[in-house]
Amino acid sequence: MHGGHRTQGISRQLAVMLGSFVIGMGLVHAQDKPPGTPVPLATALAERVNLGGYGSVKYETNDLKESNNGFDFRRFILTLNARPVPRLHFNFELEFERFTALELERSVEATAGGLKVEQAVEGSNKSEIKLEQAWVQYDIVPWLNLRAGALLVPVGRFNLLHDDNRWNIPRRPLVDRGAPVLPVKGTWTELGAGIAGETAIGRQGLVRYEIYVMNGVVLDAEVEEIVQTRDPRRDKLELEAEFRPVGGPFDKDLNAGKAIAGRVLVSPSLGYELAVSGYVGEYTPDILAADEYVWSIGLDGKATLGGLEIEGEYVFTRWKNIKRVARDFARIVRDKSADTPSSASPTFEAEIEFELINLADSKQGYWIELRYPFWPAALNQTVLGKGFTNPQLVPVLRWEQVFFNDLLTDFAFKGGAVTTLATRNATLNRLSVGFAYRPSPLWVISLAYEYTFVENGSLRGLTNFLPAQENESKVHAFLMGIAFGF
Amino acid sequence: MLSRRAFALGLMTHAAGLLPSEVQAQEGVFLTEAAAPAAVFPRATDFERTIVPSTPELRAQIQTRLGALRPSLWEEEYVIFTAKHRAMLLGYGVIVEEIGKHQPITFIVGVRPDGKVAEVAIMAYREPYGGEVRYPRFLAQYTGKTLRDPLLPYRDIHNITGATLSCQSIGQGVRKALALVHVLFLKEGGS
Repeated sequence: MHGGHRTQGISRQLAVMLGSFVIGMGLVHAQDKPPGTPVPLATALAERVNLGGYGSVKYETNDLKESNNGFDFRRFILTLNARPVPRLHFNFELEFERFTALELERSVEATAGGLKVEQAVEGSNKSEIKLEQAWVQYDIVPWLNLRAGALLVPVGRFNLLHDDNRWNIPRRPLVDRGAPVLPVKGTWTELGAGIAGETAIGRQGLVRYEIYVMNGVVLDAEVEEIVQTRDPRRDKLELEAEFRPVGGPFDKDLNAGKAIAGRVLVSPSLGYELAVSGYVGEYTPDILAADEYVWSIGLDGKATLGGLEIEGEYVFTRWKNIKRVARDFARIVRDKSADTPSSASPTFEAEIEFELINLADSKQGYWIELRYPFWPAALNQTVLGKGFTNPQLVPVLRWEQVFFNDLLTDFAFKGGAVTTLATRNATLNRLSVGFAYRPSPLWVISLAYEYTFVENGSLRGLTNFLPAQENESKVHAFLMGIAFGF
Repeated sequence: MLSRRAFALGLMTHAAGLLPSEVQAQEGVFLTEAAAPAAVFPRATDFERTIVPSTPELRAQIQTRLGALRPSLWEEEYVIFTAKHRAMLLGYGVIVEEIGKHQPITFIVGVRPDGKVAEVAIMAYREPYGGEVRYPRFLAQYTGKTLRDPLLPYRDIHNITGATLSCQSIGQGVRKALALVHVLFLKEGGS
C-alpha cells in the first residue's frame, strides 16, 4: 500500500512536470525568487530543463536515370538544454537521420559436429543516429565562458545554424553538405574544449567569438560489405575498407596533433553581420608515416536591406600533400585488393578492397541566398493566416558554386607501390529557386526547383547525394519540404 | 622582488575575488524590480509603485485593444511604476512577461503619456539562445512605437537570427503593456 501511494505521488509529480512542459510553463522563474521562497517541484524542474526538437520531411523528384522520386524523412533531432544552477549549462542534440528501426538479432547454438553463432543487424537504409552536440558551459562573464564536450565546429555559418526549420529551401548548401568544402560534411561535430563569448560595442555594435581545441578531422576507415550474384561470372562477397576524412574520435585520438577552430563575428548594427572563421589540424592517423594538415578558412555574413535579406558563406579548404598520403597508404596496405582465384573457387569469389576517398588537394566554394519575407494582410482571415501571430511568405533564391582542385578520382596500388593516381578539376554549380510559407517562425512548408550542373565532364562523384552516371552533367530537381521545431 | 609563483598566485586570487560580482551570463536576471523603472525613465526623480490585479474584465479590455493576437500568457497582477520628473508626469513603467520559445521573458515597458513607447528593458531572460534581444540596439527599435504598430519581425522590427520567437514575444509583450496603459490611464481607443 505504501509503495502504491508513493508511486501515485511520483506519477502525479511527473504528470505535473510534463504538463508544465506542454503548456509552456506559465510564470516559472524559481531561480529568480528571493532565497527561501517556496517553489513547486514542477516549476523548479521545468526551469532547469528545456526539451525541444526539430525535424524535416521532403519529397524529391529529379531527372537522373538512377534516381526514384519519393519521400525522405530527412532527420528528427531531440534537443535538451539544462541549467542546473544559474551559471552552468548543458546543451544536447541527438539526431535520428532517416531512422526508423535498428534491430540486432544474435543466437549461439550447438549443432551436430560444431557450434553455430548467428548475428543479424536490421535497419533502415542510410540511417544514422548521431550526437550532434553535447557540451557544458561554465559562465564567467558574457565575453568569456568556458565550453567543453561535443561542439559544433565554428567554420562558416551554416554548421552553427544548421536547424532545418531555419531555412527556406529543403536542401542544405553544397559547401556544407552536398559537396562539402568543409573538411567533414555538416553537421560537423568535434570533441574539444575552449572559450566563447560576446560583448556589445557601443549602442549598436556586437562582437561574438568562439575558439576551441579539438581532436579534429582524421582519415578513418569504414567497412562496407557487398554481396553480389553475377551470372555467368562467379558470385561475390566483398569487404571494402573505405578511408575517408571523418570527425575525430570521441575516445583516444588517432594522432597526436590537436586541431584548432575559431570564429569571430562582428555586427556593426542590427541586421548586418560579418564573420571570419578557420580550422587547422592534422588529418593523418598515426598508422601513416606522414604528418599532414588540413586547414580551412571561412567568411560569412548577413545583411538586411529593407525587407530583403542577403546571407552567404565562402569556405576554402586545403588538404596538404594528398599524393604523399596516398603513397603512404599504399605502402602500408600493400595491395588495393585481393581475391580468391577462380582456380581455387570456381563459383564463388571473396574479395577485400581498400579505398581512399573524398580527398582533394583543395576545394573552395560559396553560397549566397536572397530572400524577401512578406505577408499580405488580405491573407489574415484565410486558412493560411488565421490563428497565427506572424505568418510569412518567403520567396528565396540561392546560387552556389564549388571548385574542386585535384579531386582524387582513381587510386590503385600493388605491392606497396602506386599504379594509378588520377585527379580531376571541376566546378559544380547549383541554382535554387524556392517559395516558403511559414505559419510560425519554427515551422516552414517549402517548394523549390534546383538546377545542378557542371560545365565540363560529369556530375558523377562530385556530390554525396546525386547518383549521377558518367554521361550525366546536369540535373533538374523539384523539392517539397516540411520542417518543424518545438 | 616578487617571485613568478607569488605573482601568479596573486593574479589568480585577484581574479577569484573580482569575478563573482561581475558574473553575468547570456541568460539570467539583468535588472531587479527596484532598478527596472529607472532603466526606462532615466530622467525620473520619483517612482510610485502600484499593483493592479489582472481581473477577467481588465484582460478583456486589453484583449479588445490587442485585436486578434493573443498574449502567450496573462500575468496574475501588473506592477506599474508612475514615473515623474519632480511634478511632471513622464509616463508609466509596466512589467510584463511573454513566453519566448520555452521560458518566459520578463521585461519592463516604459509608456509615455502620449501612448508611445519610451524605452524597453529586459529584466530576466531565461532561454539558452537568443540573449542578444537584451541589448539596447535591439530594444531601441520599440522607442516611439504605438499600439497601432504591429511590432513583429519582418514587419517593423529587425529580426535576430536564431531568436525570432523571442523577438516576436517581446513585441507582443510591448503591445500588451501599451494596451494596459491605454485601458488604465489614457482611456481612449489607442493611438
